[in-house]
Amino acid sequence: MTFADPVQAGVSRAAQAARDSGPLLRLTGVSKRFPGVLALSHVDFDLRRGEVHVLFGENGAGKSTLINIIAGTYPPDEGEFVYQGETIGRLTPHTARELGISPVFQEFSLVPELTVEQNLFLGRELTRAGVLDRAAMRAKAREVIDLLGFDLTPGRKVRDLSRAHQQMVEIAKAFLADVRLLILDEPTASLTEAEAGKLFDLVSKLKAKGVGIIYVSHRMREIKQIADRITVLRDGRKITTVEAADVSENDLVELMTGRKIDVLFPHIEARPGEKLLEVEGLTLVNRTVTDVSFYARAGEITGVAGLVGCGKSELVRAVYGLELIESGEVRLGGEIVAHPSPAGLLKRGLCYFPSDRVAEGLALGRPVRENASMTALDLPAFARAGILRRGGERRAVQSIADRLKLRPPHIERAVANFSGGNRQKVLLARGLTRDINVYLFDEPTVGIDVGAKTEVYALMKDILATGAAIVLVSSELPEVLHLSHRVYVMHRSRIVAELTGADINEQEALPHFFREHDAEPGR
Amino acid sequence: MTDAASLSAPEAARRSLVGWLLVLSLPLLMAVMELSVYAVEPRVLSLRNIVNVLDQASYAFVFASAQMMVILTRGFDLSLGTSVSTVSVASALAMTGLVAAGAPDALVVAAGLIAGLGVGALVGLFNGGFVAGLGINPFVVTLGSLNICLGLSTTISGGGPVFNVPDVFSRLFYNGKLMPGVSIPIMIAVLIGLGLYFLLNHTTFGRSLYIIGNNPRAARVAGLPSRRYLMFAYLACSLLAAFGGLMLTARTGSGEPNLGGSLMLESIAAAVIGGVSLQGGVGGVGAVVFGALFVTMLSNSMDLLEVGGYVQQILLGCVIIIAIFLDRLRQTRA
Repeated sequence: MTFADPVQAGVSRAAQAARDSGPLLRLTGVSKRFPGVLALSHVDFDLRRGEVHVLFGENGAGKSTLINIIAGTYPPDEGEFVYQGETIGRLTPHTARELGISPVFQEFSLVPELTVEQNLFLGRELTRAGVLDRAAMRAKAREVIDLLGFDLTPGRKVRDLSRAHQQMVEIAKAFLADVRLLILDEPTASLTEAEAGKLFDLVSKLKAKGVGIIYVSHRMREIKQIADRITVLRDGRKITTVEAADVSENDLVELMTGRKIDVLFPHIEARPGEKLLEVEGLTLVNRTVTDVSFYARAGEITGVAGLVGCGKSELVRAVYGLELIESGEVRLGGEIVAHPSPAGLLKRGLCYFPSDRVAEGLALGRPVRENASMTALDLPAFARAGILRRGGERRAVQSIADRLKLRPPHIERAVANFSGGNRQKVLLARGLTRDINVYLFDEPTVGIDVGAKTEVYALMKDILATGAAIVLVSSELPEVLHLSHRVYVMHRSRIVAELTGADINEQEALPHFFREHDAEPGR
Repeated sequence: MTDAASLSAPEAARRSLVGWLLVLSLPLLMAVMELSVYAVEPRVLSLRNIVNVLDQASYAFVFASAQMMVILTRGFDLSLGTSVSTVSVASALAMTGLVAAGAPDALVVAAGLIAGLGVGALVGLFNGGFVAGLGINPFVVTLGSLNICLGLSTTISGGGPVFNVPDVFSRLFYNGKLMPGVSIPIMIAVLIGLGLYFLLNHTTFGRSLYIIGNNPRAARVAGLPSRRYLMFAYLACSLLAAFGGLMLTARTGSGEPNLGGSLMLESIAAAVIGGVSLQGGVGGVGAVVFGALFVTMLSNSMDLLEVGGYVQQILLGCVIIIAIFLDRLRQTRA
């Protein structure tokens, strides 16, 4: 009909009104199947304008699948997708962006060789008469970065940025366009408290403007802080949707895991023995670690805390032979390690678990079995005279996988098909394939759910009971404070404090995080 | 209802169909190719031609296997063709020299083997040394050694073929009768295939190659001796290629300075078409068997259809690009 029919117009006005007052997004009975897995099973989900809707669940619960469907990464196998009152049939990442759906994923989609600014405008460059308008892009980039309050330089190459800063670029990208639905997938995983605070301010501003926000996180504190409603997923099913104000932390954990978790951090008894690892005056060629001395004792968890980029990760990496050492000494069991190398240190009983599991921890395309045994191929139990003993290998890895409660417990599956928490278990399995007495954990629980976290902590407790030494490097302050028996705080490449006993708490630790000048070593 | 479900279900089915097609694409393609050629030229499925194809494929298999060893580690060997030429010339010169001096057969054959495999070992150490030891891009290193071998083979041969390779050598590696119905090249290829299967699946070296190719940084963090194994991979590649070169020399009965002409491209094509991923860490003996058969069938079919040699080169170039494209698809979809 081409002429203006008053009744018709009235109907469409009503439809328009319904569109504005109804939910921004409504998914009904959405399912998604991957080869061998039902990732989502008949999930209902809705998002209102101006609310923060938290998705909560263990790794592998279906959170990623759900947000990927909403972002158009892949289509659902069944179910209805209604956005702004309209049924959407086929959604691609591109059309999703055009509809104002902006996802910020954990896995970065940045081009390392391009600058911050070029990444922000990638695929939607501003042009004037067909020529790139650099000035306009620089100005717009500046504007967005200032709005977010991030400490980013538009002209720097992404390759040279820390993970935290790359995360900021990823977030900034989402804010460049006109956002109506923002998806944030663990955005604070590598941000400092201050940066996270700024992000939350921004989230409130967007809420006030009527933007709907889907927020995936494992961090109770921030969920409490910003959530309006919480949807709990478990094993691909929706368990419930609750008003954030009505539930306690324990309720949530119980809903998520289907079991009660009384205390997240286990009480681990310290029985300090001899110093197994000693580092004296360590300085790296790139100066990310300067004149650091510390030790780790058997039967004790030695924590290393500090801001992202303070050098704490580089410190343990250097001990394992992954960074170039300029001066200083590393002693293992009292003996000097002349040239630290991964193979040599593994032989001497020291193992390092990298924080970036995808980039340097695991061979994702290979099965669990091979990933778990790759640090032990020099042992007679796994290979003799260069010939693998595959039967023995299979049995050994299967029993470790069972002990670590790998889910699903299929050691012949490629690691790429496992969730974050289970990938971490595969990595940790390496510490159990051979005799290790010094364990270096680098951000062992980053990006994994509460259930897997407690399992990692339980493993630490087991390990400690065998008389090993554990060094725990973590940016998550509660974790490092609750688990460690002694804590070193690093600031700008140096150790600035050592906390023991009752001093291990936030009030004592935090001031050292934010010292104004390069203080002298705190000991 | 035009909701997401009714639209996406066939879409999902289509995708898994694509996945299946990718797995079965090569055997299917070979069947289609043979049958359509058969319609025009029935000789393609004659027993004689099939035996001929299997013979030819044995050589292709040896060279593609060589190439696979380094492709698994995210590398490749551009020098494979010209190093084969050098092997051929060097072994032929060693043998003809000893024959002229009146040496016994055993010594002549041993000298041919030592000269050929020696050249292979040198090329492998050279390539591996620069790639693994100094961390130089394999493209650059093997492009350099390609030229070095080209110069070497023409220089030591004086530019022309080295004739009169002794018959005993040809009997041993080409036309001798050991088992009725099975030619020597096929037997050698089977032995090499079994050996490689064991090497790749049952040794720490083979296991490590896959891990290094899949994630070199993870291999390093896990303490695997990556450099040494990378070096071994290039050594194994060049030794296998050298052995293939000796087999070809036995067949032609002469040392040929341009024997390896198109081998480099053919070997990469066969490996990649079979499913050895240029992105590293994916592939195996089975893949190379199929790849070698495909490349051989393709050129055999074109021979029978009297397609000219240069046109065949053009087609091979196209096929390798399509294969790499399919490899990409496989990596992202299947």
